[in-house]
Amino acid sequence: MAKIFIYPATSLILSDLVSRHGHTPLSSAVAIRERVQTAGLESPPLQITPEEPKKGLKWAAVEVPSGVRGRMSLYGPMIEECEAAIIINDADFAFGCMGCARTNELIKFLLRQKDIPRLDLNYPKNEEEGVKFVAAIKRFLSELGGKK
Amino acid sequence: MTPPVRIAQLSCGPDYSGVQHEIETAAHEVNGEIFFPDIALKDIRRDFDAFGLDVRSPDLKLAIARAKALVDGRVEADAVFIATCFRCAEAAIVRNELRRFIHENSKLPVVSYSFTERTTAGTLLTRMEALTTIARRRALLARETQQGITLGLDSGSATTKAVVMKDNKIIGTGWQPTTEVLKSAHGVIETALAEAGMTMKDIQATGTTGYGRFLVGKDLNANLVQEELTVNSKGAVYLADRQHGPATVIDIGGMDNKAITVMDGIPGVFTMGGICAGASGRFLEMTAKRLGVDITELGPLSMKGFGGRVPMNSYCIVFGTQSLVNALAAGSSREDVAAAACHSVAEQVFEQQLQEVDIKEPVIMVGGTSLIEGLVHAMGELLQTKVVVPHHSQYIGAVGSALLASGFIKDE
Amino acid sequence: MTDYTPTHVGTVTKYVVVESFEVTPADLAIRGYEISNGAMIKETCFGLVVNGKEEEVDRIVNELRKVDPDHIFVKDRGFPPGDSRRCRANLGGARPGYHGMEYEMTVIPYVSHGLEELKKRDGAAVSAPENPLEHPVIDITTLKKLIDAQES
Repeated sequence: MAKIFIYPATSLILSDLVSRHGHTPLSSAVAIRERVQTAGLESPPLQITPEEPKKGLKWAAVEVPSGVRGRMSLYGPMIEECEAAIIINDADFAFGCMGCARTNELIKFLLRQKDIPRLDLNYPKNEEEGVKFVAAIKRFLSELGGKK
Repeated sequence: MTPPVRIAQLSCGPDYSGVQHEIETAAHEVNGEIFFPDIALKDIRRDFDAFGLDVRSPDLKLAIARAKALVDGRVEADAVFIATCFRCAEAAIVRNELRRFIHENSKLPVVSYSFTERTTAGTLLTRMEALTTIARRRALLARETQQGITLGLDSGSATTKAVVMKDNKIIGTGWQPTTEVLKSAHGVIETALAEAGMTMKDIQATGTTGYGRFLVGKDLNANLVQEELTVNSKGAVYLADRQHGPATVIDIGGMDNKAITVMDGIPGVFTMGGICAGASGRFLEMTAKRLGVDITELGPLSMKGFGGRVPMNSYCIVFGTQSLVNALAAGSSREDVAAAACHSVAEQVFEQQLQEVDIKEPVIMVGGTSLIEGLVHAMGELLQTKVVVPHHSQYIGAVGSALLASGFIKDE
Repeated sequence: MTDYTPTHVGTVTKYVVVESFEVTPADLAIRGYEISNGAMIKETCFGLVVNGKEEEVDRIVNELRKVDPDHIFVKDRGFPPGDSRRCRANLGGARPGYHGMEYEMTVIPYVSHGLEELKKRDGAAVSAPENPLEHPVIDITTLKKLIDAQES
C-alpha cells in the first residue's frame, strides 16, 4: 500500500480510484482534518492559524503571499511523505484548498522534482477517454505493488 | 437591534492565511455580517468567461463570478469586501478590476484590502465601519448643511482638533498635539468653546471621529461616533463646496493615509494605508525638525526649492531622513531638501494608494498636511491636476463630525 | 484569540457520492442506516456523509460501494457532518470545495463508464491516454499526406 499524492488534492475521482485500488490517497481533507481535530487557538473556518503561513516558509520565501505559504503548510508535508503522485493537469475548477494557481504550480514542481513514480493525465472528456483514464490509473497503481 | 449589514466577501487566500476569522470579527463589531455569494459552477464558467480577465487561480475565477452575480442583482448585498493576499500580482489585478467593475456598475460600497498573516481585526475595523456606515446610513450622509450649535472632535494619532459650528458656520476651533487622548480632547474643546464664546451647555449635539473616537465619544456622551473615512469625505466636499458630483479626497495623516472617491458626498471606493511611516505626515515633521524649521514653514520653504536635485533612494522614514541629512551635508540647499521630502511623500501615496482608487476631479486634499503647500504642489504635479485645499482643511474630521452631528439635534 | 476545543477527535468523515440511474441518495441512506452500527450517517443531495471510527467508516463505505460499485465514489472530508464552519446556510454560499466537486460530477459518468468497460475489456490492452505534458508534433509522412490531400 503506497501513499499517493493526488492532484487536485481535493479530487473525489482520484481519491476514490486510489483507495479503490488499495492505496492511500493524500488529500486536502486529511490535512484539514488534522487541524480541525487538534486543540489550539481558534481560527475558523479551517483552523489554519496565522502560524501556518510561517510554517510554509519551509517551502516558499517570505515574499511569497501568505495564502501560498498557508496552503504549503498543508501540502508540503504531504509532498514529502508521498511515494507516488497522480496529477490531473487540466484541473481548472478545483477551488478552495486548490484555489491558488501559484501554490498549484509549486506543488506540481515539487512533485516533479521528487524521484517517485508519477502519472500525468487530463480529465476524460468522453466515454472512451474515461476507459483510458481508469485503465491508466489502474495500471499505474498496480505497478506500485501492494494491491489488495 | 437593526439587522446586520450584509457584506459580500470576494477573496482569495484569507482562510489559508489564518485571517478569515479576523475579517469576520471586524465586520461583526460594526454590526456587519460576512457572506459568500451563492452561485453555481455554470455561473462561474459563464461569468468568468464573460468578464474576460483570464486569470489562472480558481478562487479568483470564483471571486469574479461572484462579483458578476452581485452587479447583476442575482445575489443581494449591502456592501462588498474584496480581500486578496498582499504581494500577489494576479490577485492585485483582479482586486483592482473587480473594485472598479462593482463601483461603475452598481451602487454597492466597496472596500478592497490586501492582507498578510499579520492582519488583525483591529486593522480592518475602520474600513468595515465605513463600509457599514455607507451601506446603512445614507440618510445621515446625505446632510449638506449644518444646523443648530454642534461640536465636532477629531482625536487623531498625531493631533486633536475641535470645532464649534453654528448655523452652517465655523465659530470656534481648537488644535493641539495628541498626548493623553482625553486631556488633549478637553483642551481643544475648551479653546474652541472660548473662541465661540460658548460653554458645553450651549452645544446641542456632539460628534467624534479619529483613532480616539470611542474613548472621547464615551466621555462626551457623543451623539455620533464615526470613523474618519466617511466623516472626512463628508467634511471635505462640504468645505470645498463640492457636495454634488464626483470628487477625490486625499488625507495624508500622521499615522495613515486615506484616499477616497466620493459621489454626491458619499464615499464609493476608499483605501486606507500606512505600512510605512515614510509616506506619512510624520516624515515631513521629521524633515522640518532636521531643517530646523517649524512644520508650518516647511511648505513655503519647499516651494522655493527643486526636489529633483536631491538624491533620495529610499521611502523609508529612517533611510529617507538619512538621505536628506546626507544631501544637506553634501551642500544641497534647505529649500531643495524640503521639496524632495514633499515629493517623496506625495510620490509614495501616489504609487501605493492612489492606484487603488479611480481619481475623479476635483481632487481635494485635507488634514494637517494639506497646509504644507509643497506637498500639495507635488501631489498636483503627480496627478496633473490642480488640487483643491478648502479653508479649515486641517479641521476636516472635526468639521465633518459637527456637520453630521446636527442630524441628531431633532431627535432630542 | 480564544482557545479552540475540537470535537469528533479520533474520527474520520467520508463523503459517499452516488451518480447513478438506479440508486438514489435516499436508497443509499437506507442501506447505510441498516449497517451503521452507531456511526453517524447524514443524507445529502449527492449521497451520504459518514462519520465514526476509521474502521467503522471503512466497513460501512465498503458495504455501500457494493450497492452500485461503478457509480459510488468515496472521498475524505476534513469536517464532521453538519459542521457550521462549512455549512452553506452559515456561509451564505457554498464552500469553495463544493464547486470543485460540482465540476467532477460532470466528469464522473465517464469514469463510471471506464469502470464498467474494464470489467469486460482487458485493461492492459487499453491504450494510454494522451500525456498532457507531451506536445507531439505531426510526423512528416502524415503532414505530406495532408498536403497532398489538399492539393488534389
